[in-house]
Amino acid sequence: MSSNPRDDSLAEKRWLNALAKGDTTALNELYKMYGEKIFRYTYRMLGNRADAEDATAETFLRVLRRANDLRADGAFKTWLFRIARNLCIDKMRQPKLLEISGERSYTGTEERAALRVTVQNALNELPMDYREPLILCDLEDISAKEAADTLGISVPALKSRLYRGRRALREKLGGSMEKLK
Amino acid sequence: MSDLYRKLVDLYAGNELPEELVAELQSTAAKDESLATDMATLKQTVDILKSEPAPEFNESDYLRIIFRMQTAGADIEFAEEERNSGQYQLPM
Repeated sequence: MSSNPRDDSLAEKRWLNALAKGDTTALNELYKMYGEKIFRYTYRMLGNRADAEDATAETFLRVLRRANDLRADGAFKTWLFRIARNLCIDKMRQPKLLEISGERSYTGTEERAALRVTVQNALNELPMDYREPLILCDLEDISAKEAADTLGISVPALKSRLYRGRRALREKLGGSMEKLK
Repeated sequence: MSDLYRKLVDLYAGNELPEELVAELQSTAAKDESLATDMATLKQTVDILKSEPAPEFNESDYLRIIFRMQTAGADIEFAEEERNSGQYQLPM
């Protein structure tokens, strides 16, 4: 992906139009543009690599299946995140995923890694209404407008959940925050 | 703490507060310990989240996901250089 949003937008339009015309290389190009972002988001939501890979693959398969309906109107990224989110929610409802996976690969000192697990566990304990805005806005640095569109809520509602979520996370972290300094 | 200060601290923690209001809030916090604590701990919480490392996404992750799509029946064509070398440059 280029560093110029206008170039990205033009490329996105070009590949969406190509995909609608049946050019299958276009999916690969769209995957290059957004694959890592979707993987990171699904990994944050699901907590393990295998499920995140599944959800990412399925997200792009849905792009392929809906190729004729997609419009290059600038809302593709949000649509993509919404698809990924719905897939994550479906996966989280599956019984096997209620068993918490311990898979997390953290680097750095042992203490630092342990504290990162604390942060992750605290995040996982939050209600979804709080957790999702934190993942989108604070972890993935997605704009409030895009996050709100992904979640299907207004920007003020998104911000309200984000602010409450941060305070709820602070309560969960408690004394651990001192160690994270 | 009043609702107004609570809202201001929320904005401060997310770096959404204009500089002049940050200065005003800090000045008030210098005389109000609970406000100062609220500002510091909430900002620290946000900073911790924003400094969390991104999950690793390397070439083999990239290719494994393509493989999953192909296994599911997607007719995805690789770019020529990927087919030849098996190498993929992650987009920056």
